[in-house]
Amino acid sequence: MFKLLKKALQVGEATVEYPFKPLEVAPGFRGKPIYNFQQCIACGACAIACPANAITMDYNLEKGIKSWKVFYGRCIFCGRCEEVCPTGAITLSPDFELAATAKEDLYCKADFRLTRCHLCGEYFVPAKELEYILAALEQAGQPGSASHITRQVMEVCPQCKRRQGIKTAVKSLPRAVGQQQGRG
Amino acid sequence: MSFSSQMKRGKKYPDALKDKFGTAVILEETYQTPEQLTITVDRNNLPDVVTELYYGHNGWLSNMIGNDERSINGCYALYYILSMEGNQNPQDNMWVTVKTLIPENDPQFPSVTPRVPAAVWYEREVRDMFGLEPEGIPDARRLVLPDDWPDNLYPLRKDAMDYRYRPESVEEKYDFIEVEGEGIVEVPLGPLHITSDEPGHFRLFVDGEYIVDADYRLFYIHRGMEKTAENRMDYDQVNFLAERVCGICGYTHSVAYSAAVESANGIEVPLRAQYIRTILLEVERLHSHFLNLGLAAHLVGFDSGFMHFFRVREKAMKMAEILTGGRKTYGMNLVGGVRRDILKEERDQILRLITELRKELDELLDILINTPNFLMRTRGVGKLERDVARDFSPVGPNMRGSGYARDNRADHPFAAYDRVPWEVVSKDGCDVLSRELVRAGELYQAFNIIERCLQEMPPGPILVEGFSYKPYTYALGATEAPRGENVHWVMTGDNQKLYRWRARAATYNNWPSLRYMFRGNAISDAPLIVASLDPCYSCTERVTVVDVRKKNVKTVSYNELENYCRERKYSPLKL
Ligand code: SF4
Ligand code: SF4
Repeated sequence: MFKLLKKALQVGEATVEYPFKPLEVAPGFRGKPIYNFQQCIACGACAIACPANAITMDYNLEKGIKSWKVFYGRCIFCGRCEEVCPTGAITLSPDFELAATAKEDLYCKADFRLTRCHLCGEYFVPAKELEYILAALEQAGQPGSASHITRQVMEVCPQCKRRQGIKTAVKSLPRAVGQQQGRG
Repeated sequence: MSFSSQMKRGKKYPDALKDKFGTAVILEETYQTPEQLTITVDRNNLPDVVTELYYGHNGWLSNMIGNDERSINGCYALYYILSMEGNQNPQDNMWVTVKTLIPENDPQFPSVTPRVPAAVWYEREVRDMFGLEPEGIPDARRLVLPDDWPDNLYPLRKDAMDYRYRPESVEEKYDFIEVEGEGIVEVPLGPLHITSDEPGHFRLFVDGEYIVDADYRLFYIHRGMEKTAENRMDYDQVNFLAERVCGICGYTHSVAYSAAVESANGIEVPLRAQYIRTILLEVERLHSHFLNLGLAAHLVGFDSGFMHFFRVREKAMKMAEILTGGRKTYGMNLVGGVRRDILKEERDQILRLITELRKELDELLDILINTPNFLMRTRGVGKLERDVARDFSPVGPNMRGSGYARDNRADHPFAAYDRVPWEVVSKDGCDVLSRELVRAGELYQAFNIIERCLQEMPPGPILVEGFSYKPYTYALGATEAPRGENVHWVMTGDNQKLYRWRARAATYNNWPSLRYMFRGNAISDAPLIVASLDPCYSCTERVTVVDVRKKNVKTVSYNELENYCRERKYSPLKL
């Protein structure tokens, strides 16, 4: 009993004053994923990797919109989205105070314009994703003159490509396209 | 597979079986890894072969898997996994899986339970989930499926249902055992638990203040994770689901899961990743054991001790935060390694915390052990006798408190456990005290393991990539969680998804023998006994007490029983 008392005196106050004082977390803490619309190209890699299905993507082919959505209520803060995102558009923050009074406050949404296939006229790819890929190809050393040919090839939807004969389509693509697809 | 035939272990086991039952008994022998052998036998020989390995060659039942392989070979299959231990040279220990095929049009097999009691839960589960009937099983009640689940709907059959399907409920029925005798009272405990906050229903049969027998019904919150994984998740995603098996020892499930996938596909995990996994597993053991020791103090009415254990435990949580970015050791594994390296500053911080923890633990244990009430309340209470333990294959501190030095980390070394020195802790009091002392001893071992791993881990990559998954290969992965071994089994599919995933958590092997641990104890010790298992089930608020002498039944709230356990005054049975 005496030992215990001594211990208690020696420890003093063990609790912290949270929530009246901020609580410090370790560097590299995995909290709320923060989304940056400017950088996002709507590629959907995060939605595929997310084990909890917190991030989802929907198409509206009538209106030509692809929407990105995260529901923080489902998020498990694993950081897989951050890991697979090619543009750094989603990163985990140290913020762990996510309580909200309304469910709607736990969503973050974004809509993206889709580009039409220049053969059949159907919507199929987010404009930003297309631009991103073209820019990446140019950086990878695609000579400027060929680039509008690449654009023409890229603006064809998969169905049309298949119709055209998949082999010719693949042959006309530069090699770097294959390497764009990482693990995820 | 990428191992040579010299590396294969354990020829002696199939040889011994052939000697005893004739060479025809084994239809097929395949190695999944050098220490994982699967032998196929006819279903009629199943009880003989499992019994011989279990009792004749120091085997323990570590898992049993039912599988719907009709699309592969037209049959259902059962896999009884035995951990073969106790060899003089630990290098000779191995896993032997006894496989048998069951034709679709005759879904039954001779039950192993009458000869190896440890099989009871597994066989009841396989009956629920696949509709395979264990002929001659002494306890043919449902285990996993809810009481209002329709008959003839077997969720894990591939053609049975989508994972989102929720059938209409049917009329409930569940027969708790009945104990006849003069003066026996029935005490229902649950459906909500004693120390955990999950549902389970306990029925204690008491004579006056003493428990004569017990029965329980669990699985009230079965989540159907295996089905979900098979239906909608890819191999990497299942890691994150596997950790949600438990809110305390989650990481160990993701390690067991990835190890199973890695073994099945011959994926070699880099050494540095193995060290990191080991460190995180031990950090998990730290916070888990601190928690359980704290709870034990709480249940014997020593609340200031409880507070101190929780205060000190916070340092272990801090370690997890530093190493993984979350207070729990979640989210660190992928198939092929880990996702986050340990940097130098982090290593130094952890080493400092270990030094502090060691000193704090010395002081706390000194105080706890010198609290007369603690020894008095835990010594000789909730005995898990050695022969009961032999029959039911319990695991973890529960087992090591009964004099068996069974520990997966030593028996089947995984991660980096065979690269750093440490010792298996066991005690032979068979009681609550022994189990708590085992945990205390393991905390010190964990300190050492973490320190050594941090100091010795080699540089290098932490994740391999670029491997491919081979369809329909299978293997098991095992870890020693704070509560005992976790054994996962996987079979890969041909669509980047698992064909079958079976996760067996430690406590699953500890429940069936609990009934024997209750017998002869005072009812006020029941919460303490359950807590000493450190159970992991979803917790219970009520207890049914059946008085066998007065023949009356009373339901007690968990709070009442817990208070009675702590104060030992105002018996809720007398009110
Ligand atoms: S942190 Fe994990 S769960 Fe949360 S959105 Fe990202 S991938 Fe999904
Ligand atoms: S992975 Fe990154 S760029 Fe792609 S949709 Fe997600 S946030 Fe946007």
